[in-house]
Parts: sequence; structure tokens; C-alpha cells
Amino acid sequence: MTAENPQTRHTPTPEDLDQHIQPHMVIEGIPTKRHTIDIVRKFKEEGLFRFGCLVIMTTMGLAIFGWLDHYDIYRLWPFDPNRATGNVSVEPPGFLEIPGLLWKTVILGHEPPHWFGTDNAGLDVFSRTLAAPRTDMTIAIVAAFLSMFIGTAFGLVAGFYRNALTEFLMRISDLLQAFPVFITAMILVALSGRNEFNIILALALVYTPIFIRLTRAEVMGQAVRGYVESARAVGNPQWRVAFGHVLPNSLVPSLVQISTTVGFAILLTSGLSFVGAGVRPPTPEWGLMIALGADHIILGEWWGSIFPGVAIALTVFGFAAVGHGLEEDYR
Amino acid sequence: MVGRFIAKRVFLAIFQLFGITIAVFFGIRALPADPVARLVGINASPEAVQQARESLGLHETKLQQLFNYLGVWSTSGKPGIFQGDLGVSWVTNSRVWDECIRFLPVTLEFITYALIIAFIIAVPLGMSSATKPGGAADRFTFVWGLFAGSQPEFWWGLMFVFFFFFQLNQWDLPHAPAPLGRLTPLTTEPPPITGFILVDSLLRWDFKVLFEAAHHLMLPTFTLVFVVSGAITKMVRQNMVRVVQSDYILYARSAGLSRRKVALYALRASMAPAMTLTAIIYGFLLGGAVPVELIYSLGGIGQYSIRSILQFDYPAIQATVLVIAMVSLIIYLVIDILHAVIDPRITF
Repeated sequence: MTAENPQTRHTPTPEDLDQHIQPHMVIEGIPTKRHTIDIVRKFKEEGLFRFGCLVIMTTMGLAIFGWLDHYDIYRLWPFDPNRATGNVSVEPPGFLEIPGLLWKTVILGHEPPHWFGTDNAGLDVFSRTLAAPRTDMTIAIVAAFLSMFIGTAFGLVAGFYRNALTEFLMRISDLLQAFPVFITAMILVALSGRNEFNIILALALVYTPIFIRLTRAEVMGQAVRGYVESARAVGNPQWRVAFGHVLPNSLVPSLVQISTTVGFAILLTSGLSFVGAGVRPPTPEWGLMIALGADHIILGEWWGSIFPGVAIALTVFGFAAVGHGLEEDYR
Repeated sequence: MVGRFIAKRVFLAIFQLFGITIAVFFGIRALPADPVARLVGINASPEAVQQARESLGLHETKLQQLFNYLGVWSTSGKPGIFQGDLGVSWVTNSRVWDECIRFLPVTLEFITYALIIAFIIAVPLGMSSATKPGGAADRFTFVWGLFAGSQPEFWWGLMFVFFFFFQLNQWDLPHAPAPLGRLTPLTTEPPPITGFILVDSLLRWDFKVLFEAAHHLMLPTFTLVFVVSGAITKMVRQNMVRVVQSDYILYARSAGLSRRKVALYALRASMAPAMTLTAIIYGFLLGGAVPVELIYSLGGIGQYSIRSILQFDYPAIQATVLVIAMVSLIIYLVIDILHAVIDPRITF
């Protein structure tokens, strides 16, 4: 009876005090909630995100099979992507012939046809399109993660220790961003030798400033939080505060950015190969395949460059979709 | 006020260009490439190699080479950057500045048209998708922005060539021209006035060249519009959504202004970020449109840069990077000034 009466007051118990701290009361310095992104839920609910994840998984799987083929362990596709088959400029089978051909190859065990045709050197387009992720994905993923590691480290240092040296570092990062991306990558790859390793280094250099900037901004926001001060107060040295406490809390923007970066890295890798400043033929690589087919497309040989292009378009779109989904949740 | 802002920005830009000059200079010399061997060939005698090194000025120390390039304390006796000379190409032996001036307008022209068209498409599309969230235009804009932004533009360029040139030609329909440059190879290009071929032919009142050039520029421009318009539309939409929810739009509505007028106010406020994005894309395309130039063999600065890079032509590489950085800095400056004109909230 008395409990409902507002006029009746009693001495507060600890339980009452607990009730006073409501979720909406932000206590300065203590992060109220961790950024969590429920990938499984997103996968179930959002079609676009699901599509992106499936594309990424497929290309990753193809990349793994590509390396298995490279070391002659197992070949998923019918032909060696690096060796000419002897059948030059074969047109791919028409739509209506496909069921019959499938029956013959899968059930009767005949010699497999060239599903996507062959280019003018006799290389099987189907096998090469499927084997290409081993080049493209490896370059893009390694480059993106490399630039993330370097960029996060530098960004952490630049955001945590604010002095003349890190100011200078930021000016250099600004300078790097003023360079035209494509031309810089072309110069780096062409002048230091056209191979996969140099492409990875060039892409990593080009994408590092983005991560420096992202991490630095986040670290500067985190460094004034209460937990950082508490970590210092209990006697942690500065470096351990930076790497042990601030770093794990400021990784999220970089992790969200990485999917988009991998997609752009695939575009840049294939673009470099297309203009002749990327990997050397006959490496199975989508941009290079498009370039090899480009000379003949004017003569009506469409199959050499259409299939790798579809592959790039799908893959990069998949990465962009996942990147967009993650970014949306993060905001 | 504006004058002081511009002066400050120009000063900063010169500083940045100086930094880029030095970074590129030492950057390309730090890479393990041997330009002399590329120029004289593998079988050249050591004397020939030495002679080539000396004639290119590569026998000096790196720092002295930089001074020669800049034109201070020079030992080569040739003018440097400070005298307004970007050097002589090692391959073609002509002045790099002249070559850049010849090739730059080609790229500028088709990028400019593409971005203008993309902007014209993006603004109404972004507006209509922002005013009706969840509608057909909105969903289209969303998917398009995500899709077009992640497409290999060179591949779409090839597809357009295949369809609009080859396939339409096969079917005896009116078709796009062969991707062999800015004009048909048989037409001699008139001497440039501005370098923009459409503008030139208009100035000359030469409609034959005008239509031919427009016909040839159609596909490259369309390729870029295709790739670029999605991102700009998304940007217009995002800002428009934010602006429509703001207080001054509510006030304008409650004051009884017509929907048209309110939409125009909102548009003006949401233009600024979209214009910044357009400027950034412009700067990106200056160097990034290389593959598209290559497909249509337009012969712009991008194609020039890839040629000089593959031939290890150091003066030309330095000059192209510098010229592209310079043009993008100028464009950023122009956009910042335009912002102040459009958006009265911005003060310098």
C-alpha cells in the first residue's frame, strides 16, 4: 500500500541505487557498449550481404584450388591454365548444346569441351577464368592486409604520441595521398619489375594512407577515454597502453574498410595488367585475359574477354556489398 | 577575404608540388630499374653505356641530378624547373612540357564531359530518391551506386565497343565509330586552339569535324559516365536526405513555400559535398582513365604516361605526375571557391 504512495519515502537500499543507473545515463569515459557486428544474423537477413559473402567464399575457394593446381596437386578445371591446348580461337558452345555436352563429359566421360572457348593462343578461357583468383585474390588480400597492418601501426603511433615526428609522418601520408593512384602504382610496378611481389608492395603503399588516417582519427577519439587513463593509473607503460588497450579498441574502422579495399585492389590489379604494367602473360589473371582478348573483340571474338570481365565485376561487387553492409552496421 | 584564402591555398599547393617533385625524383631513382640499359640496348659496349649516362646526366650524384632538374646550382647548363622547363624526353628528345600540353587537353576534354553528364544525371536522380525514400528511384539509386562503383571500366569500355561498334555494324545499323582515336584516321586533325576538339571545331564553325569528334567521343564519355554516375548519385541522395530533415527546411515548409522552392533550397545545400566528390573523382580520373584512353586510343596524358613509364623515360614520368597533381590541385581550389559561392554558410 505504502509503496504506491509517492509521499512515503524510505532510506535508499543498494538495489535502489542500482536502479538509478539507467542505460541511457552515459558515464563519461566508460564505453557503454562494444561495437559488435552480428555477421550470422546479417547473413540470414540481408540478401545483398549474403550474396557478397557467397561471392567472397567462392573466389577464396577458387584461389585455394588455383594454388593446388599451381603445385600440381589437384586440378578442378579441365585444362592447364598456362598451357596452350592447340585449338586456337574456338567458339564456346551455344546454349542449346550445353546439356548434351554436360551429359557427354560428366556421364560418358568424354574429353571436356572448351566451355568458354579458347583465345587466339589456344589457352582455355574457362580454366583460366577459374584459376585466376589464385593471382588476383592473393595479390589483393595480401596487399590489403599488409596496408592495414602498416597503416594501423603508423596510425596508432601518430594518434597516440602527438609530437613533431608523428606530425611529419602525417605530412608524408598527405603527400602520398596527393599522388595519382593509378599512375603511382604503374610507376612502382613497371620500374621495379613486373611480378606479383612488386604489385603487392605497390598496392600496399598506395592504400596505406587510408588506414593511417582512419586509425589515427579513431585512436585520437579513444585516447581521451577513461579506460586509457585507468590503464595508465595502474602502472602500465605507455607502449602497453597504446598496443594493449587503445589498439584493440580502435581496430574496427580498419576492419570495416578492409573488404572495400580488397575489392578496389582487385580492380587495380586487373587494371594494371590490362594496360601492360601488371603480371606477365600467360599468368592466369583476369585483367591480363581481358587485354589478350581485347585485340580480337573488334573482330567479333567476344569470348576471350567477356568471361574474365564478368568474374571481376561479380567479385568486386561482392566485396563492395559486404563492405557496405559492415559499414552500415558500424555507423 | 577570398583573395587571402586563394593566396594561402596557392602557396600551400606550391609547397605540395615541390614535395611531390622531390618525392617522385628520388622515388623513381630508388626503384631497381636501369633506364640506360633500356635505352642503349643489351649488347651495347661499356663505352656507349658510359656515354649515354653522361649525356643523360646520370653520372652525377643523385643530389646534383636533383639540382640540375630543379635548375639551381646546375652543372648541366640546361634550364630546370625554376626556369620553367620540365626537361627533355629521353626517348623522343622533345620538350616534355610541350608533349604534356599537347596530350593533357585530350584527357581533360572527355573527363570533363563525362563528369558534367554524370552530374546532370545524378542530381535529379538523387533528389527524387531522397524525397521518396524506399521508392523505385531510391532502390535503383542504392543498387546502382554500389554496383557501378565497383565495375572494371575498361571491361565495360570493351563491351560497349563490341556491341555498339561490332555488333551494330554486323546488323547494318547505325553504329559507333571504330575505337581508333578522336577522329577517323583519314581526317587530318585541325591545329588546336584550346586543345578541346569540340570547342575548337565550334570556334572554327567547322560542323563536319564537330560531329565527327562528338561521334568519336560518345563511347569513351559514356563509359566513364556509366562507372562514375553511381557514386555521385549516392552522394547527392545522402546529403539530400540529411538536408530535408533539417530545421530550416521545416521552417521553409511551414512558412508555406511551394514544394518546388523548398526542393531547390535543399538542393543548393546538398550540392556542396557532391561537388567535392566530383572534384575528387576528376583528380582520380586524370590518371585513372588510362585503360579507357587505351581502349579508344584517344592519346591523352594517361596513354602518354603509360608509354613513358614502360620506356623508363624519367623526365616524362616526373612531368606527367607533376602535371596531373597540379591540375587536380587547381580543380580542388576552384571547387572550394565555388562552395563559397553556393553555400553562404562557408566563410574563409
